[in-house]
Amino acid sequence: MVTHHPDMRLLTEFASGSLPLAQSAAISVHLHFCSHCKRQVNALQDMGAEMFDTLQPADVDDSLLDNVLAHLDDEAPLTYASSAAIDESPVLVQRLMTGDYKDLKWSRINKALQIARLRTGDPEHEFALYHIKAGGSIPCHSHKGTELTLVLEGSFSDEEGVYHQGDFLMRDAEDVHTPTASRTADCICIGVLDAPIRFKPWNYRLLNPFLQLQAS
Amino acid sequence: MSELPPEDDPDMQAQQNVQPNIKVNAEGKRDDEWSQCLQVIANKRDRAAFARLFKHFAPLVKAFAMSGSPLAASHADELVQEVMLKVWQKADGYNPRKAAASTWIYTIARNCRTDMYRRLQKFDTPLAAEDIWVEQEEEEPFVAVQQRRNAARVREMLTQLPQEQAQILAKVYMEGKSHSEVAEDLELPLGTVKSRVRLAMQKLQIMTDQR
Ligand SMILES: [Zn+2]
Repeated sequence: MVTHHPDMRLLTEFASGSLPLAQSAAISVHLHFCSHCKRQVNALQDMGAEMFDTLQPADVDDSLLDNVLAHLDDEAPLTYASSAAIDESPVLVQRLMTGDYKDLKWSRINKALQIARLRTGDPEHEFALYHIKAGGSIPCHSHKGTELTLVLEGSFSDEEGVYHQGDFLMRDAEDVHTPTASRTADCICIGVLDAPIRFKPWNYRLLNPFLQLQAS
Repeated sequence: MSELPPEDDPDMQAQQNVQPNIKVNAEGKRDDEWSQCLQVIANKRDRAAFARLFKHFAPLVKAFAMSGSPLAASHADELVQEVMLKVWQKADGYNPRKAAASTWIYTIARNCRTDMYRRLQKFDTPLAAEDIWVEQEEEEPFVAVQQRRNAARVREMLTQLPQEQAQILAKVYMEGKSHSEVAEDLELPLGTVKSRVRLAMQKLQIMTDQR
């Protein structure tokens, strides 16, 4: 059962289309697990639709209709079935990965943590998978910008709580935390960063892939 | 009326109980003009029905395109064509139990506008808007009914929002701006923008227990 949700600002920007791509992707994965937020987003969309409905109509040249009518028989571009059964991994994640978790290019940070970046095309945010070994932790770190985290598999805890599959967290720059995977299972989560992350102990610096934020 | 009526405000309760002014037939399907029109387009591939729908919605899509970022606004006609063609192509995916025609068309317009904006900025991304805003699976009947009530209430209450809140919602939804962009625009602190959006959501009873 999902107990940690994105806040209203994130859901509103998600629904209205202004949230950056990588962050939107993380919200979208949360909605895969959370029917509560799915309903919220639907309601937020309904509101957008109401405003859309009451816009002052703009003049549309008749040629546009003719143009569209002329293209009605064009073959529609292929679409992908984008609804998956609830127990499968979210379609969006499958879309970003080629193959399975094991096929990703993981970089090893320490014996408990490895990271694989996925390309979303968002130039200002990094979207990565974190694999934390059972009982292992992500080194204590702080970051300059916002960090979004979503648990895909297993669970982890930090100074403030325990997070299970589908749980969503937003951490601001000033938050310093040490996420630790549960003792019984590995944890895989999505992390979206908008600024370089800094691990506190000096010896991580050399290994730290986030010192140089890779906008991919 | 104060800015933020408490949950047990009798006025609020009364408004909640107002019979929603929305047409839904016995099977829980919408049967307003445009929802019917969309179904005719889907079932009969009826071009005349499509032209009718176009005449109503294309001017709204264009207005939506023009209120967005200047980059997208300069391609407004292109967006209109793209959206309306999608409406034709995807009409059989429209489910009158789930959404009003205008909601369905709005989400297509939002998706296309977002995709177009990214395309114009030369984003190289494997994701399309449709991967992000996944179309919802069939909800339980109760949820669907609940949602229709919400939509009716939102329509009703949107007109009663104080101007300062309505203006911000318009910027968020129609102009497609983030909260911080809105704050910059209106020279307001970000916190003020956030709290006005929250107040508006509370009033529209969209926000439930979220922080
Ligand atoms: Zn949620």
